[in-house]
Amino acid sequence: MAALLEFLREKHRTTPLWLKVLIPILGLGTLGVVAVTGAVLAFVITAWLGQPIPVLGFDQSIEQPIPFSHTIHAGTGVYENSLGDQVQGLGMDCTFCHRTVTTQANAGIPPVQFCAYCHQVIGKDQSEPLTQIRMAAGVIGDDPHPINWKRVHRMPDHVRFVHEPHIRYLTANPEAITNSTSGVKTGAAGVCSTCHGDVASMTKTVTQVEPLKMGQCVNCHRDNNAPTDCASCHH
Amino acid sequence: MTLQREKRQYSWGMVVDVDKCTGCQACVLACQAENNVPLNLQDRFERARAMSWIRVERYWEGEFPDIKARFIPIMCQHCENAPCEPVCPVFATYHNNEGLNVQVYNRCVGTRYCANGCPYIVRFFNYWEPVWPEAFRNHLNPDVTVRSRGIMEKCSFCIQRIRRGVRNAERENRDVIDGEIQTACTQACPTDALVFGNFNDEDSKVSKMKKDDRHYTLLPHLATDPNVVYLAKIDPDRSAGASHG
Repeated sequence: MAALLEFLREKHRTTPLWLKVLIPILGLGTLGVVAVTGAVLAFVITAWLGQPIPVLGFDQSIEQPIPFSHTIHAGTGVYENSLGDQVQGLGMDCTFCHRTVTTQANAGIPPVQFCAYCHQVIGKDQSEPLTQIRMAAGVIGDDPHPINWKRVHRMPDHVRFVHEPHIRYLTANPEAITNSTSGVKTGAAGVCSTCHGDVASMTKTVTQVEPLKMGQCVNCHRDNNAPTDCASCHH
Repeated sequence: MTLQREKRQYSWGMVVDVDKCTGCQACVLACQAENNVPLNLQDRFERARAMSWIRVERYWEGEFPDIKARFIPIMCQHCENAPCEPVCPVFATYHNNEGLNVQVYNRCVGTRYCANGCPYIVRFFNYWEPVWPEAFRNHLNPDVTVRSRGIMEKCSFCIQRIRRGVRNAERENRDVIDGEIQTACTQACPTDALVFGNFNDEDSKVSKMKKDDRHYTLLPHLATDPNVVYLAKIDPDRSAGASHG
């Protein structure tokens, strides 16, 4: 008995503090393990079916270098601009800025000079984002530079997605527009919202609303009699 | 279960006129650049791990000084009865309805059975992550997947160019014009020894060339039924009529 007590005292002295903390936590037992496993499984399953839960850096909202407002440009309601004024949405067509979407693989981000066509005269001088745009375009100062916009919708490297045929088909067949996330069904905004959601109502930054997984692609391709050959997209 | 050739809209194929081939290797270089094939540095060659989707094989005929060099470009033959297809456990390689033997990179798990089955030795395995010099980073073709380590790859008949050609034709609401779609190797070939086209179109250049008396396929005794047809070398020294093979 004395030997055992001596052994335990010796153990108590030599065990590091982190082990003394860790062992009781592990000792919480089965309940804790079940809870942790359940949480991990829930995360994996949601990520598999759609998008991961926006925790631990899986948040889909991406901060852009300039807080560009899609609402004021593409929306049709009344919105608050960066100076706090109420302004009427312009209701511009998506393809006005994303011009190559009807002809090429990529939708394309317009060069900053394109923004400056309008914004060298339109917009107040006090506006901070507009000042940045004008400086980047060389309207103010003498240091024109491109803006490093962050990409929101990114396909994996083994997928070759081409915008042009999709836009062409959906424009010709508006009944194929099956967007669950927005009610927009007409015009260019309706076509784009099939995969991108209602961008015109995204007040802060553009986020990815559709999962854009292969299952979604293949379902739509089957419904519309589009090719489901692997080599259509993977090459 | 391959579709019958007659039922297809397109049956892509190539005709290689060996008589016109000068062995200049322009096709090899064009393919390398078009399809993001990793650079073959000296150590890759020394380990017999060099990759080139198309290669020009050289044969010597005769004894010096009466010697002749013979060249024959060899790429994936896109066989109708491809030995590589049934052995793949994950269906990463299959025959599509345009007569192409397709390699799906994201399905491939790297068993290398297909490369063992291929009698033409035109399948290549990525033993390492491909590395390019820093200056080459922005030279990669954005239309072609960069294959990572552990993936089998091979000639795709420049499927990205086929897709682009068909897409442009669809947009303009017409059929694909013969000669509109060119693979990188046929485009680069200075003597037009390589010709790419649609075998299902009776009037296409490849269909006409295929009817030439000189036509043959590689390893015909294996009955792989390749979609690449070769036209034999014309040898002026030999008597006429004996130029087959």
